[in-house]
This record gives sequence, C-alpha cells and structure tokens, in this order.
Amino acid sequence: MTDETKKAILVVGGGMSGLSAALEAAEAGYQVVLVEKNAYVGGRVAQLHQYFPKLCPPYCGLEINFRRVKSNPRITIHTLAEVTSIEGAPGDFTVKVKVSPRYVNDKCTACGKCADAVSATIPNPFNYGLDQIKAAYLPHDLAMPLRYVIDPSIAGTDEGQKAAAACPYGAVDLGDAGQELSLNVGAVIWAAGWTPYDPSKIEYYNFDKSPNIVTNVQFERLAAVNGPTSGAIQRPGDGAAPKKVAFIQCAGSRDENHLPFCSSICCLASLKQSTYVMEKLPEAEITIYFIDIRAMDRNEDFYTKVKASNKVQFVKSKIAMITPQANGNLILEGENTATGERFKAEHDLVVLATGMQPNTALSQVPFDVTYDPYGFLTSGQAVIGVGTVRRPSEVVTCVQDGTSAALKAIQAVGR
Amino acid sequence: MSKKVCGYLCKGCGIGDALDLGGLKKAAGEQGVKEFKEHDVLCSPEGVAMIQADVDAGTNALLIAACSSRAKTDEFSFGNQVLVERVSLREQVVWCSAEAEDDDRQMLGEDYMRMGGVKLTKSEPPAPFQLEGEVAKAVLVVGGGISGLNAAIAAAEAGSQVYLVEKEAELGGFLRTINKLGPQTAPYRELEDNPLPALLEKVSGHANIKTFTGATVDKTEGAPGNFTISLSNGESLRAGAIIQATGWTPYDPEKLAGDLAYGSSPNIVTNVQFEQKAKEGGLGGINSIAFIQCAGSRDANHLPYCSAFCCLVSCKQAMYVKQANPEASVYVIYKDVRTPSQSEEVYREAQRQGVIFIRRDEAYPTITGSDKLSLETMDVLLNEKVSLEELDMVVLATGMKPNNPKVVEAPLVAFGEDQEAAKKLVEEAKAQTEDWSVLNLQYRQGPNLPTLKYAMPDSHFICFPYETRRTGIYTSGTVRRPMRLTQAQDDGVGAAMKAIQAIRAAEAGCAVHPRSGDESFPEFAMQRCTQCKRCTEECPFGAINEDEKANPLPNPTRCRRCGVCMGACPERIISFKNYSVDIVGSQIKAIEVPEEDEEKPRVVVLACENDALPAIDMAARLGKSWSAFVRFIPVRCLGSVNLVWIADALSSGIDGLILMGCRRGDDYQCHFIKGSELANVRMSKISETLQRLVLESDRIKVAEVGITDHDKVAGIINEFMETIDSVGPNPYKGF
Amino acid sequence: MDYNQTFAKEVYEKVDSGDEIKVCMQCGVCGATCPLRGEMKYGPRQIWSLIRAGRRDEVLNNPDIMLCTSCYTCQVRCPRGVPIMEVMHGLAHYALAQGIVPRAETAKFGKAFWEGIYDTGRVDEAVVPIKYCLQDGLVAGLKKSLGMMDIGLALMKAKRMKPKMFIPPNIFIPGVHKIKGVKQLQRMLDKAAAIDAAKEA
Repeated sequence: MTDETKKAILVVGGGMSGLSAALEAAEAGYQVVLVEKNAYVGGRVAQLHQYFPKLCPPYCGLEINFRRVKSNPRITIHTLAEVTSIEGAPGDFTVKVKVSPRYVNDKCTACGKCADAVSATIPNPFNYGLDQIKAAYLPHDLAMPLRYVIDPSIAGTDEGQKAAAACPYGAVDLGDAGQELSLNVGAVIWAAGWTPYDPSKIEYYNFDKSPNIVTNVQFERLAAVNGPTSGAIQRPGDGAAPKKVAFIQCAGSRDENHLPFCSSICCLASLKQSTYVMEKLPEAEITIYFIDIRAMDRNEDFYTKVKASNKVQFVKSKIAMITPQANGNLILEGENTATGERFKAEHDLVVLATGMQPNTALSQVPFDVTYDPYGFLTSGQAVIGVGTVRRPSEVVTCVQDGTSAALKAIQAVGR
Repeated sequence: MSKKVCGYLCKGCGIGDALDLGGLKKAAGEQGVKEFKEHDVLCSPEGVAMIQADVDAGTNALLIAACSSRAKTDEFSFGNQVLVERVSLREQVVWCSAEAEDDDRQMLGEDYMRMGGVKLTKSEPPAPFQLEGEVAKAVLVVGGGISGLNAAIAAAEAGSQVYLVEKEAELGGFLRTINKLGPQTAPYRELEDNPLPALLEKVSGHANIKTFTGATVDKTEGAPGNFTISLSNGESLRAGAIIQATGWTPYDPEKLAGDLAYGSSPNIVTNVQFEQKAKEGGLGGINSIAFIQCAGSRDANHLPYCSAFCCLVSCKQAMYVKQANPEASVYVIYKDVRTPSQSEEVYREAQRQGVIFIRRDEAYPTITGSDKLSLETMDVLLNEKVSLEELDMVVLATGMKPNNPKVVEAPLVAFGEDQEAAKKLVEEAKAQTEDWSVLNLQYRQGPNLPTLKYAMPDSHFICFPYETRRTGIYTSGTVRRPMRLTQAQDDGVGAAMKAIQAIRAAEAGCAVHPRSGDESFPEFAMQRCTQCKRCTEECPFGAINEDEKANPLPNPTRCRRCGVCMGACPERIISFKNYSVDIVGSQIKAIEVPEEDEEKPRVVVLACENDALPAIDMAARLGKSWSAFVRFIPVRCLGSVNLVWIADALSSGIDGLILMGCRRGDDYQCHFIKGSELANVRMSKISETLQRLVLESDRIKVAEVGITDHDKVAGIINEFMETIDSVGPNPYKGF
Repeated sequence: MDYNQTFAKEVYEKVDSGDEIKVCMQCGVCGATCPLRGEMKYGPRQIWSLIRAGRRDEVLNNPDIMLCTSCYTCQVRCPRGVPIMEVMHGLAHYALAQGIVPRAETAKFGKAFWEGIYDTGRVDEAVVPIKYCLQDGLVAGLKKSLGMMDIGLALMKAKRMKPKMFIPPNIFIPGVHKIKGVKQLQRMLDKAAAIDAAKEA
C-alpha cells in the first residue's frame, strides 16, 4: 500500500469535515497535509458541549479521530497555518502556506509552567470571549497538538520573557517568526468551515446592549464542563441562574437582510440546548420562538422527545424586538402567529440561534472557483469544497461529505 | 523474536522530584526490565535520539516511563517492529497524587513500573494477518439507484473494479420514475433535468464497471478482502468490500385509507404516483390541487421520523402544476416547511409562482368527495378551520422506508443463566426481526446488517455514519436515513471511499475503524476450546463463524480488534500478541499488595481507552487528585474484560475493582457497540460468585465515565475508597 | 370558511406591489414591529393570510390597512423583503377606489392632506388639520380642533408647527403658500391619477 509516487492531498481546515477527509484518504494509503488556521484541530465541534440527538460529548469522537491521526504516519498537520495562494490544476498544485508563530515549539510537554508564570490575560477564544485566559495557554483540554500557545500580544513583552524563563524545556521560542511553506500537492480539499453570523447586525435584537443575550455557540460553552462556568448555566451579566430562558430561532437565518438560506442546524441545536437547561436548571421555564421546526429525518425523534417532556413552550413567532431592562432581563416582542396575539414576554436569558456563514463568504479561496449567491462553494470544481463551505450542515453530513471529498481527491492524485 | 529490552525513565514534568528513581528501576527489574537509562527530558530531541540510538543498535522492547500513552506519541514511536510500553508516571502518579503520602506515591509508581514491565515482557510485536490467496479488490455495489450509481462511478474512477447489481431489469432505481429534479444549483430557482441518462452513459462506458441487472444476491460468503457473492442469475463474484445502496420504498398509502381517505377517489394520489403522471405529461386540466405534507411521516402511528425529502418534492410538484397552468390554485398543507440549507430558496420560488402554503395542526385534513374533492383543515395561521372546495386532485406527500430488513437483537441479559427467560427474550426478538435479506450473509449471527431504530443499518450515526456492524460492508443513501437526492448522491461517493479503504486494510492486514491500522488480531488456542459459543454470539461485528461442531471460525478481516471475544471466553483461549488475558492478569498480579495491618487498600480500575483514560489524563492535568491506592489498567473496551481478571485481583488481595467505561443503552457511546453493556451484564452475574467466596458485591463497581467527565473521576474513586473502607480489607490478603 | 384565490389574484394584479406578498412566510415580524401594533387588529401578516384565503370584504373593510404611518420599520425588517408599507397603502388606495372607506377619519385626513398638496404644492402643518377639521362644517370643525388642542400644543412645543401659522388670513387667502409652478405639478398629478384609474378599471 505504498503510494509514494503519488502526490499528497492538501486538506484546508481541520474541523469535522477536514479531519474526516484527511483520515479517510490517509487510511486508504495516501499522503495528506492538513492545514489548520487555529492552534488546534477539531474545529467548532470541539467547542460543543454535546451532540444532538444522542447528547454525547464531541470529545469522544474526536479522541478516536485524534488517535487515528496519531497512529497514521501519512498525515502531516500544520496549525496556525493559512493558505495564501494556489496555482496549478488537479494532479499538480503549488500551494503557499503562511504559518503564524506559536512561540512554543514541539519541546512543550504541556506542563503549564508558562501559564503559571504569566499574569497577562486575553479573552478566551475557545469560550467565544465569555471569560479570560492567561496569554500563555493550552487552547482546550483535548487540544491536538497538546501544546501551549503564547499569544502574540505578549510575545515581545516582559510577560513573554516570564513565560520563556519559566519553561524548563526550552519550549518557549519568542523569536518564532512563523514560516512560509510551499507545497506541491495533487488535490486540494477546502474545508474552511463556518463562522456564526454576527448577531450585532440584527440591530433590533440589541445583542451588544445586554450581556444576557448570548449566541447558541456561546451557550454551548456555558453548559460545558470545561467552559467559563464549569458547566453551570448562568447569566453572563450577573452570574445568576436564569429562571426564564428564551431561544430565538432564525436569528439572522432565512432572512434576506442577513442570511437568506436556512442554517439547518439551529432548530436541533436549540432543542438540544433546551435539554441542557432541563437537566441543569429543572425549575427554569424554557420557550422556543420559531418559524418552522426543522428536525430532519430521524432527528424528528429528538424533537418528539423534547416536546413530550412538556418542559418547553413552543411559540410560533419570529421575535421582532428585544429590549434590555435595568434589572438585566429582556423584553421580547413578537406576534404569536398561531393565535394572532401580539405579545411582550420577559425572559432573563436569551439565546440567539445564530446561523452558519460559510467562511468562503468571509474569505475566498485564492483560486478561480465559483460560489453560489450566498458565498458557498459550488460542486464539481478543481478545488474540492466540503462540509459547511458547501451548505449548512450538521456533523453527520460533514463526515459523509469529508469522506466523499477524500474519494474525489484520490481520483485527482491518481491521474 | 528475541527481545532486547531497555527501560527509559524521564525525570521531567516533576517525575524526578516526586519519585525515587532507584526504587522505580528496581520494581521494573523484578519484571524483567533490568537495563535502564534516565533523561532529564526524555521527549526532547536529545532524549529521543538516545532511544533511537539504542533501537538502531538492536533494542526492540522499550519501557518508557514518562507521560501518558496519549501524549508525545510521535516522539515515542519507533516503527511497528519495536514494542513500546508506556508507563504514565506523570498523569497517573505525579500529577494526581498531590494529597498522597510520599511512600504511597512511591509505591504507586513502583507498581506501575512492575505492571508496565510485565506487559512488555509478555507482549510480542503484532504480525499483520494475511489472507490466503490473492486479496479481492473489486467493490460490489448492490442497488443501482442514484446512490449506488454514484458509488459505482466514484469507485471505478478511482481505479477499482466494480460489480453493480440491480434487482430490476434496468438501472436507475427511483430516478427512472422522476420527471424533473427540483432546483439543485444556484440560484436554486429552476427545475432541472433528470441526471439518469448522463449517469447511465458513464456506467455503461466505464471499463471498470460490470453491471448485472435483474439480479439479486443469493449468498455472501467470506470476509473483507475475500467475499464470494453468488447472484440469482448464477454468477459468482469475488469482491473485497460491499456497498449496500438499496434505497427506499414509499410508505404504503393503503395504510392512509383511514386518515387521508386514500383509495376513496382516483384523484387522491401519492407524491410518487403524481410524479409518474407528471412524467407522462398528465397534468393537464388541473385547476385546483392540494398537497398534504407529512402524510404518514412524523406520525407515531405510521412513520415517526421525518422523511426529509417530501417538502421539497411538493414544492417541485407544485411548480409543475403552476408551470402547466399559471392560473391553477395550488395549496401545500404543511406542519413545518422543511426546506433546509440553500433549498429555502426553493420554498420562496414556489411561493413566487403563487403556491399557497397553509399550516395545519397535528390533525390530518378531512378529505371528502370522489371526482371533485373537498378538504377541511385547521389553518393555524388564520386560527380557524378552513375548507378547500372543488379540488381536482389531492396529493399525499408520503414518506420513505429504508429497503433494509429490520434486525432486532435480544437484550444481553438473554445470555444469562436463566435459560427460560433467555429463550423468551430471544423468541421475542426473533418475532420482530424481518425474515428477508439483501445480502444473505453467511454469518453465524445472521444474514443481515444489525439495525438501529427503523431498520436503519448503522452503528454510530453522528461521528461515523458509514460504519455498519459488518466490517467491509457499507450502506449508502436512503437505506441509512431519509435523505434528499443530492445527499444520496454524495453519500455514494463517500461509501466508495470506505470500500476502497477496507480493501486496503485487508491487504495490509490491519484493522479498520475505530482501531484503524492496528496490526494485532485475536488468535484462538483451539485445542482448549469447549465450544461454548460465547465468542461467536457476543462478537459485536459478527466476525466469528462456527463449524458444525460449534468450533469458532474467526475471520480476522471482519474483526475490529475490540477484544470482546477475549472477554467472553471462559477458557482464556483468545489472545492478541500485545493484549491477552494472561498479560492483563499478570499486570494485576504484579501489583504489590501490602499486609492488612498496613491499612493500605488496593483498588484496580479497568479503564476504557477511549473515554475513561482520556478523562483521567485530563483530570490529572487539571490538578485533580485522588487516592494513591488505585491502579489504572487501560483496556481496549470494557467488553474485553475477562471475569478471570476479577478473580485474579480478588484472590491476590486486591480490595476492589472499578470498571470505567462509556454510556450504554439506546444512545450508547461504545465504539464497539456493546462493550459497556456486556461488562455491565457480566458484572451483574459475578455477585453470585462473590457470595460463594464470601466477598461483598460492593467490591466491584461499574462506573459510566464519559470523556468529559474528568470532573467526576476523583469523586468516583474517592467514594469507592470509602465503600472499601466500610466493607473492610479483602480477607484473601496474604493467601 | 372556503379558500378562494380570486381575491388574491385581484390583489396581485391591481394593488400596488400586491404580488410581492406571495413570498410572505408568515413569521409575524411586521405586526410585532409596527409602532401602531396596539391599534391594529390584524397587522400585515394576518391581512396577507386573509388575502390568501380570499376574504375580500374583511380585508378591504379593515381599518388596519389605513393605519400605516409609513415608518418603514416592518419593510426594513421583513425577512422576505416584502414591501409591506407599499402594499398597505396600495390596499387602502384600492379600497377607496372601490368606494370602500374602512376608516372614515383617516380618509378625511388623507383627503385634506392631499388637497393641501394639490392646491399649494406643499404640506403645511397648519393647513392640513384645519382643512381636515372643517370638512364636516364650521361648528363641528371648531369642536374637533378644540378636541385636538393637546396635539397642536405638543406639535408647537416640539417646534413642528409654528404659532404664526395660526394667523387666520394665511388660511383664507389661498395661494400665499403656493410653490412655484403649482400648475405643472397639478398636471402631473392629474396624469398619474388617470394612469392609476386605468390600472384599477
């Protein structure tokens, strides 16, 4: 099973789609280079508390995948790396990659002494800025690679020196200037993933005006044991346990002023998050405001289960306004389209089910490729789009898609 | 092979400060690791170079006493022929013993050195399993619909020989009945041509694809890399892997006679029948029509799940009517409009063309009339009952059922000692199991792929959607879950990838998911087999067949290397080169058990490698600490835990055992499906044995520890230590 | 009630931007966004729903269609890009053209507003209310204007209406406030009205 004569496959993005593509190709005997912009692979699923519909931790599947990576000599991973240019054609691409400095080399043992020595903090990117983390940090508990990062903001400062001095292993390298790589590959898989839609663009939701309005991705962190509250669901504004939680569906999605498409995961995400509230705050009232509940295929069972709990009130309404109150509560206004009644409802924590913006809409592929009107990559191109850069999708579709992208890539390198 | 053993001790990450290295080396020496080298930072380039120099000089069995086996894996890998045993002094001794006495910590470290030492000396490097004869490299695709066609083309274009088997006389499956596709490509507004002609051209023109139409599979024998398939037309094929893309069947509309008056009028048709009319150009004269969504789907009395394609199909069919007659009144009566992703635009386009969407409640509309139909429904958005009169046609948007036989397994307790109860449970399961087959597998556990809910033949539908419980056999498309056409198309391509990969693994003699690349496999010491059938019954992957005398016939290329058979075997005849009843038993026996009056109990934790072990590592790194009286032994799966280990432990004076594994039940997390469940069942049966030995059943605990339960690890251990304190020391100490 | 598409088709064809309501997905943002949500019985979403159901009388006699203040909020927020405000005005206009007056006072005010523009080419904050009040005769008009005194004072306070406008001769001497070329404006407006009438016929 040697394919040394064949060119490698480049996978851009180490989330669920990219990881799957990389592993499936490598396990069939192909060389794979995986380029990831974050300091770790695993992507957004690593930041989820649980998956729907099984309510199991994403770390479990990631651990299997990480073990597959570790035991496979054919995969090379570059973190903090971004593709800057692509030239050529399937079978023969030249790709330039810019690797940003991590300031920590592979001598790091993840002992954590650098973090102990440093006092500067930064908003924790893993927790979507809900808390602060030391500027020398391990991105998260299951980080792969298991290696610290020194934030660029302290690299040239005394704080950086403190981190370097504290490391017994010579792993802190403040002179790290990053590097430029040039790769010759036979196929390029673009798995750059998605970004939650910026809710501050929906001005009538006043996201910026209240800490007690959070996004669904932030809410995952509030429920996660390795999140800012160690898994206790609290209002960011005052740390109180919420008593009336609202989930607002289509916060930006299915909206021509924002994301005209359906983000396809948010209904199930909110249903799932309602179970977090049921489990952790059994007394809390939960309301989901929706237009249509889209629990596709067997996920319908999960919707049925949540409905059967009788703990969630479903109100068919797109919320038209959120007004923060002096006590930190939020007044939601909408029209219950099933009764025709226009209502005002007070909640003490509001979760916006913000949608998926493809990263290709925010930062394009440096190659001549075509996009649909929303910025998703279209099918059948020289650069193989996969996962949420093709269409909003949940984990399982990303894995399927990553697997099929691997096949398309081995066809390209086999030419 | 002759083993040249050397131990390596790391002094970094606090190990050198916390432990007496001399004592550690002495302990390992008791188990055959006599030679040792120390290094300040073993994982540093200098440390690794030191080891590499020894490996180059012939050292081939390394005891690396440093950090967890999950850390620094690249640094401490020296190729397949070098055995490496990692002793996790950092995570399992130094980082988690903040509250321990110094000598307890030292004893902990020394025990781990003994345990690592004995495992290393008893292990052999695995030699990959090689199939006899040439490995079959062809891919068999069963089902020539959209998913199967795409799978066949994808595999062929990647260079594989493909056999495509279709039961109908022509390829195409449901595509043959389809008039137009709904909008699939940007800007998602135009109906599109049926892709079937183009697909058929690709298939017929491809030298790598051989098609068998009008044929079904009579028999599938063998294993990945060596399947022999007998077709109904008398052909016999050899294939390395199989893709089952058998598609779906429309939900039987006769079952909707009561709810939706199906059959009461020729003008009440299903979406499938309507498509046929459209294809035949028979949509003239429709002035008024209603589509009823969720006709059977999302209904506990019919199909509880959402069929995922019907909303878009109705949008498409509504457009047919509008395009034939723009003046027609077209209604879609729905519960939720489910047009996910970019297909939201299809919904908008149907509206733009004038289609009216009426939201109903849970109750089905009432349909009356014969030629012209009347329909009464709740209109939720008007909040009143409304009626549609003079309808020319009503289309029931019926859902899909996977074309796969339902397999129901008896609960594991059925394998218990109560033969009567067991028989009953097995009978009940059998009664629910459908007695037809697609692949007719000649497997001891039955001819079909085990199924989860709704006869969907998968095993981990979130993280690993392609994995069935039969290695080298992958399902694709709507047989696995309701999906739209474009998804089924992509799915076929992915299934082709999995099939090619399975063949490569069979060639290389290594495992596929989840222990991909593992070259070890279970070997059976047949002369001691008592034909008890436990291994053949309990293997989650149906890897083991039986001969007529009930001797197990293992098929290593079907095996996933979980060790469930090893855990099942009462005679201890099943072993891997680097994982066996003897190896783990010896590790347990290598633990030094202090005298009763020292009041230092000993507890063994058998920890699942995938969930519990990472949770323990994370807990240690986060500074959690727990009793220094526990010793962890990672296991491949809790299902591989052999009861003899429990007996070994208790008879050597160990005071208690915890089995830490993942969640079991309907939403199981076990990557080997039933390992956790099996362990639980086996442990529930051990209490009798304990009572015979006059031992308390409290000494054994099965704990569910998910990978993110690192905050609970310390609590579970410390609570168990209290239990052990209260039941007192193991009376067998010192015997 | 029976569903019937006749009225919906009438709206799509004859009401300004009427066919744009087809894409409404009934989310309800419009009704809950409207500053007059407290006054409206139905709001745009339900009116669209009634149109789809064919409830001609209910829609055209519905005072809601004349309550729109043209604030644009609903239109800006509509996730389906329906020009709600335009349709609401279109419906009101269409109703009036059919001789249906869903809200007499609004119709009177509209008439005063429109006549003011037609006569002078501009909107005079004093002329419009006085014209409006006097439509029912002098006595009733004075009564009505006294009833609205609070609004007038509030407008003055907010500097939206200048006190000097109350000088009686300004009102009774037409032409004082006329724009240049008011005749041409009137010709344009006459032409537009003729086109509209042809469309609705």
